[in-house]
Amino acid sequence: MDLNKSIGNATQEIFQTMLMMEARPGQPLAKRDEVFADSVSAIVGMAGTSKATLAIHIPEPTALVITGSFLMMEVAEIDEDVKDAIGELANMVAGSVKADLTEQGHDFKLSIPSVVCGAEYEIDCPRDSLGVIVPFSIDGGDFLVEFHVQK
Amino acid sequence: MGKKVLIIDDSNTMRKIVTRSLRQAGLDFDTILEAGDGQAALDVLAGETVDIILSDINMPTMDGIEFLRQKQANDKIKNIPVVMITTEAGGDILDEAKSLGAAGSIKKPFTPDQIQEILGGLL
Repeated sequence: MDLNKSIGNATQEIFQTMLMMEARPGQPLAKRDEVFADSVSAIVGMAGTSKATLAIHIPEPTALVITGSFLMMEVAEIDEDVKDAIGELANMVAGSVKADLTEQGHDFKLSIPSVVCGAEYEIDCPRDSLGVIVPFSIDGGDFLVEFHVQK
Repeated sequence: MGKKVLIIDDSNTMRKIVTRSLRQAGLDFDTILEAGDGQAALDVLAGETVDIILSDINMPTMDGIEFLRQKQANDKIKNIPVVMITTEAGGDILDEAKSLGAAGSIKKPFTPDQIQEILGGLL
């Protein structure tokens, strides 16, 4: 299964359908920084026939644009609405990737999204896992979607 | 008397999107009630009668499957149709929802047209 394609299709569909925005995937990255600054990250755990995580990392200004589009209102600061919206975004991408994995015979249950944000925080890249990291750009900024599944 | 809908989702963002989509679909409910999980929904239904329920599955405290189970066991509310609005595209969990009386399901992300198509036949 082409995980890059699965993440790309899922993310593009969500932005097109629910945000009326175009999300343009870039070339997949081999690695990412483990320290994020002034950003919002949402992580969904997937447990079943194997363990996996799907995470979205979004700089704060881009998170405000995305939340504003979800809610159809101007959002000026990182608050509970922003954390909720980015968590729901990760939840929908994880659900779509899960559907593709289910077709391949995998069985996962999704966790409730966890959201972290702040001036500086660290999220380790899972060790001993197969992963893809896909950058996206929208009108209003860039963000990363990454998926790791245990080997 | 006007129609009432109950939206159950732990995401405030998603409850707002569903509310907006109902209006965009031309489904003008007089009253839109909200609950953040299955237990909160049961609390709402103890004091309110609604025409239809739209429920997420994956929620803290009480998920959508347990909500369906509790609803089926309550004669006062067991006949209210429930449509699951969920990231789940199929599989065992939607089969379980159906076996517990769910009238249909809508996969997130969704369009107002998809909402209209499913709910229009139930109202």
